[in-house]
Amino acid sequence: MDALAHQVLVAVSMGLIGAIVFAGIGLISGTDETTTLAPLTLLVALLGVPPAGVFTFFMAGAVAKHMTHAIPTALLGIPGDTLAAPLLQQATMLRNLGVPHIALRKMISGAIIAAFVAVPLAVLFAVLLAPFGPSISKAAPWVFLAAAVAIAYFSSGRWASVLLLVPFVLVIVGLQALTGKYGVKLSVSYFLGIAIGPLIADLFSILSPADRATMRRDRVKTFSLAPDVKSWSGYFPNPLKVLDRTQRNWTIATAAVSSATFVFSPVAMTVVMGELVGSRIKHAYHRLTTVIAARNGVTEATYIAEALIPLIAFGLPLSPVAAGPAAPLFNAPPRFFVDTATGHMNNLHTLMTSWEFLGYGLASVVLAALIAYPFSMNYAHRAASFVARRLSHEAIIATFAGLIVVISVWEGQLLGFLVIVTIGLLGGLLSRRFGFNTGVQFMGYYAAVLSVPALTKLIA
Amino acid sequence: MEHSVLDADEALSPASVGMTAAVDAQTSHLVEVWGDTVDIRHLAWSVALGIGISLGAFFSANYFLALYVHDAAMTRAYAMLVGLAGCLIAGAVCAKLFKPKRVVVDQSSDTARREEVLDQLAGEAGGLGFVSDLPLAVATEMKELGLYDVFLKHEQRIDASKRALDEGRVTTDAIEENTSKESS
Repeated sequence: MDALAHQVLVAVSMGLIGAIVFAGIGLISGTDETTTLAPLTLLVALLGVPPAGVFTFFMAGAVAKHMTHAIPTALLGIPGDTLAAPLLQQATMLRNLGVPHIALRKMISGAIIAAFVAVPLAVLFAVLLAPFGPSISKAAPWVFLAAAVAIAYFSSGRWASVLLLVPFVLVIVGLQALTGKYGVKLSVSYFLGIAIGPLIADLFSILSPADRATMRRDRVKTFSLAPDVKSWSGYFPNPLKVLDRTQRNWTIATAAVSSATFVFSPVAMTVVMGELVGSRIKHAYHRLTTVIAARNGVTEATYIAEALIPLIAFGLPLSPVAAGPAAPLFNAPPRFFVDTATGHMNNLHTLMTSWEFLGYGLASVVLAALIAYPFSMNYAHRAASFVARRLSHEAIIATFAGLIVVISVWEGQLLGFLVIVTIGLLGGLLSRRFGFNTGVQFMGYYAAVLSVPALTKLIA
Repeated sequence: MEHSVLDADEALSPASVGMTAAVDAQTSHLVEVWGDTVDIRHLAWSVALGIGISLGAFFSANYFLALYVHDAAMTRAYAMLVGLAGCLIAGAVCAKLFKPKRVVVDQSSDTARREEVLDQLAGEAGGLGFVSDLPLAVATEMKELGLYDVFLKHEQRIDASKRALDEGRVTTDAIEENTSKESS
């Protein structure tokens, strides 16, 4: 009993830390989930925090960040991160109607409701899929290859992305052979390099006089900050009362549907579900508010399902979220690892039961809601104003430049640094030029690690 | 505009010649990197500071921790934690040194903007709809926000202009008919 109490205590405190840290990070627009959640979760795993604590840190962090990134989206009209992009149109319209606080409240309430729907459903779907787990793990190299091709085809690069997998995978295999010669085995450096690739590519471009000319700007950007409106009494409004019955039902329904899907990109799901809901609502104002609530619910639910289902059912990172932001839950060598050659696996999949996933998952959502919801309701305007007026983009770039160097040198000294720059530059350029986005690149990494050995064995 | 950041104030004030020269010097260094505008000189400094401070923190932590902790893997993990703290310190230093290159305007809603959105909504699939179709809860919410009448008026205006257009078409048709009769 004492051991259990201790475990719960650790899990709750790690969840709280995750919620607080990521509620803050969510305010800074442009901070992608992969660049922030992945390295910090990895750090928590490597410091030896018990599995339940690693899990609640990740989940509470993801849910809290998802709530606070609604603030720049609603008040400044800039997407809080990649997931917020499909909500920008509705948010901007509501802002221009003079009701930005309504956009914010509908978004966040939709997210909370969807999170509570998604956790139990994702666990349920995972349990239903689990019997197929062993055969899927056995076929893992081929499953990853198929998933990489599918995710590439559904990226904006279409067939170009599918074909680009070949040179991209080849470069990774080549880099691994090179570092292997010196006894260095890298994985985190590849992830971080892919995630921060666009920054690395931009920093190279700026050094080239030819490219610099196209990046020059003759004026600074203007952001208009929507005014602060508080229209409820007490500390914060009841999230259930923020949405009317139609909105609650649509949010629950679309969240339930998207919890079952775990291989599609959250952004694509969000757009499709939003169109579906929008076509059923007659009045334009009601349509705006319902679509924004449902869409934010869908991004939340898809995100949770994409992390939980592969984790619980297979222990293999078989979705864009699992391969990216949630990667350290599957793979954090030397602590967590997946060895497809022997079928041996040691990660959260083997260390936690389905009931633990359900309990700690719900606890994470509660913790995130307790921290991020009252904060967003009361301090949204002040926080958005502070970030836009005081936090320069240079400061953010300095932080990420440091992050790239520390993580790569930590993992592989000079070789790690060379690899992160190479893969970041290549990935960033391919993403900019061909729409070969980071999700596809992550799958490319897994294809290089898992599918290529199987392929060579087949041919040899 | 009163809250806008310092650099932006300079860029926007139409003042003296000396001022304009300073603006030129600044604008010629502006570039867009990773989705926002930066000053290229500040960018160079922040990359250098980011790498220098964080790597310095990592290596010194690694060195000093190794004197006390004998598990090499643990030492490195904690050194990474210190290195990450170094990243945050570098960020804080750069935030202090370099001001944002943005203009932040406090926007209050104005009627022109509202009308623009209403026109946009009316043009979308599904159109503006009718306030009479709204569930009671939504109608109350809109009344509290002062949007009910705005939507109602716009809806009536669209209706009126549609009717005017229809009537116009009827009259033109009639005239055309007359002229065609006359010409034949």
